Amino acid sequence: MNDIAIDLQQIFKTYKSGSIEVQALRGVTLRIERGEYVAIMGPSGSGKSTLMNVIGCLDRPTSGNYHLDGIDLSALDDRALAKIRLEKLGFIFQGFNLLPRTDALKNVSLPLFYAKVSPRERRERARAALAEVGLADRGHHKPSELSGGQQQRVAIARALINNPAVLLADEPTGNLDSTTSEEILALFESLHRAGRTIVVVTHDEEVAERADRVVRLRDGLVLSDTPTARGHFSGGSIVPQEATPQS
Amino acid sequence: MLDYMRETLELMQENLTRTILTLIGLVVGVAAIISIQVAAAGMAAAVNGAFRGININTFFLFPKSTQGSTQRANLGLSDLTLLERNVPGVETAIPFGQTRTIVSAGHQHVMLKFGGESYRRFSTAPVVAGHAISRTDVEQATPVCVLSSKAFSRLFPHAADPSTVLGQSVYVGPKRYVIVGVLGPATLSTASLGFDINNDVVIPYTTFYNDYQRGRPLFGIQVLGSRDATLATLEANSKRVLSQAHGGSIYQTFDFGFFTKQIDGFFGVVGTIVSAVGAISLLVAGIGIMNILFVSVSERTREIGIRRAIGASRATILIQFFVEAFVLAFSGSLVGMLAGLGIGELAQQLFIARISGTIAALPWMHAILLATLFATVVTLVFGTLPALRAASVDPIEALRYE
Repeated sequence: MNDIAIDLQQIFKTYKSGSIEVQALRGVTLRIERGEYVAIMGPSGSGKSTLMNVIGCLDRPTSGNYHLDGIDLSALDDRALAKIRLEKLGFIFQGFNLLPRTDALKNVSLPLFYAKVSPRERRERARAALAEVGLADRGHHKPSELSGGQQQRVAIARALINNPAVLLADEPTGNLDSTTSEEILALFESLHRAGRTIVVVTHDEEVAERADRVVRLRDGLVLSDTPTARGHFSGGSIVPQEATPQS
Repeated sequence: MLDYMRETLELMQENLTRTILTLIGLVVGVAAIISIQVAAAGMAAAVNGAFRGININTFFLFPKSTQGSTQRANLGLSDLTLLERNVPGVETAIPFGQTRTIVSAGHQHVMLKFGGESYRRFSTAPVVAGHAISRTDVEQATPVCVLSSKAFSRLFPHAADPSTVLGQSVYVGPKRYVIVGVLGPATLSTASLGFDINNDVVIPYTTFYNDYQRGRPLFGIQVLGSRDATLATLEANSKRVLSQAHGGSIYQTFDFGFFTKQIDGFFGVVGTIVSAVGAISLLVAGIGIMNILFVSVSERTREIGIRRAIGASRATILIQFFVEAFVLAFSGSLVGMLAGLGIGELAQQLFIARISGTIAALPWMHAILLATLFATVVTLVFGTLPALRAASVDPIEALRYE
């Protein structure tokens, strides 16, 4: 077993747009331990989305090493990466990204379908996961019949159902009003207390403050990596990372 | 797999009109091909059935009308014995003779087909009363007759039972024939083929010769081959034997193979045309399905992205879209198959059954296999591109896609 959930070493990501090369990440080194609750912040264009995609195995770095839960991802093909996303990662998106025509229960059980779990077990586990996020009675509602907060909770249940190593949330409260945002953040906190590793990408300081640690990006580099007041307060196990600016 | 199928079915319901429009081509194509096959099978059964009224190993032999000396080619009674003795497999040979004439019984005067028959019967209709023409009848050229079921019912409309008319007489002109037997209905007649050799009233062929053909050369000879003889060999040998006896004259033969060939030919042409129409509609159908799948891919780009993010590999997405293509193609094929069987059955009921009285069993297994085959081919040919496009959707782009 490895105590380190995410280990990024000198991650570069270069996009080619016609003849212009865009360096989205210029050598990001970041280590996140199990059980940490980390917020990644940065203005738009700072590379936080790209970093999120790399961490989420949706995108491959141009160079650099990435170990997720101790597994070296650089050598994996599409099928293997899909398996990593399935087993190690839980995604939570700003726009919820639930399948629109499918009821909550089925949305939640979708990862299990790809994991080739039997329909009966899928149903049972999905029901349990929905209950965990407080939506036990909404299983047969379609996303359009649920409020934004409820949809996001369905998405969280979906992200959790495979018991992933890392919960990855991209602006999880971006589409929600403040009351609902608070509900979701409270849910994150209780997940964190239960030992989940959570990475939240956000530009909202209030959201970031709820984490133990904030990583700020600028121009494809880690600008700062500091524990929040809360992180100090709760005494989270943090290995401070030195920012490694490159000129 | 089942989940994919259920999902596709739900999608199809949501876009019902689009689905129906897409599948019409496939339905038409499959229906056309299957219905013509049902009709052809029915027709084939009818043609085979048509020979049940008459012994299948029958052929007719005529002098060819265009040759050096038609005089020399003329056939006579001696040629009958010649064939019976010198051609192995010939059971009996009688003068070909059939006339339509007024036959009277009591006050009934009916236009009927009237001709000769041997004691080795050409007809296969069962004897329901009395007996058939006997050997003695033939040898002694007795004035007796056997009625077909049609002749019986027309001449004796009030008779309760065929046996009550045995011993009564019918008249053909001044000639009187005593009824010795009545036949049941022939299962089918060759009439549907345009030429009915089953007579309504038959008398011994010797009597028929004496009364109507004497003093003239025979118009032709009707030959009955034994069950195990091959018609082609019989015909060739008969022609050869007669040709030798008549100084090299030329004879032609005629059997029912001619009809079967003609009908086969007809259905071959119709089948080709319908298959071509079917093939074109399948092509159109395939393109339609490809189109709907492309639309589906672009409409569901985001969904594909979600699925990829959650853990679906390219291969899984590919399979999903293939399943979708197959469900679409298969439901179209299935409807087409049912429609095709229905149309074929209707064609049988309306046309073929009227002629032949038979209906061929519907080729269910065949149709199901064919429908599945079409669905598979359409899926593979037209589902591949959309499925590949779906699989190549970039999850990052797709998730950003609104």
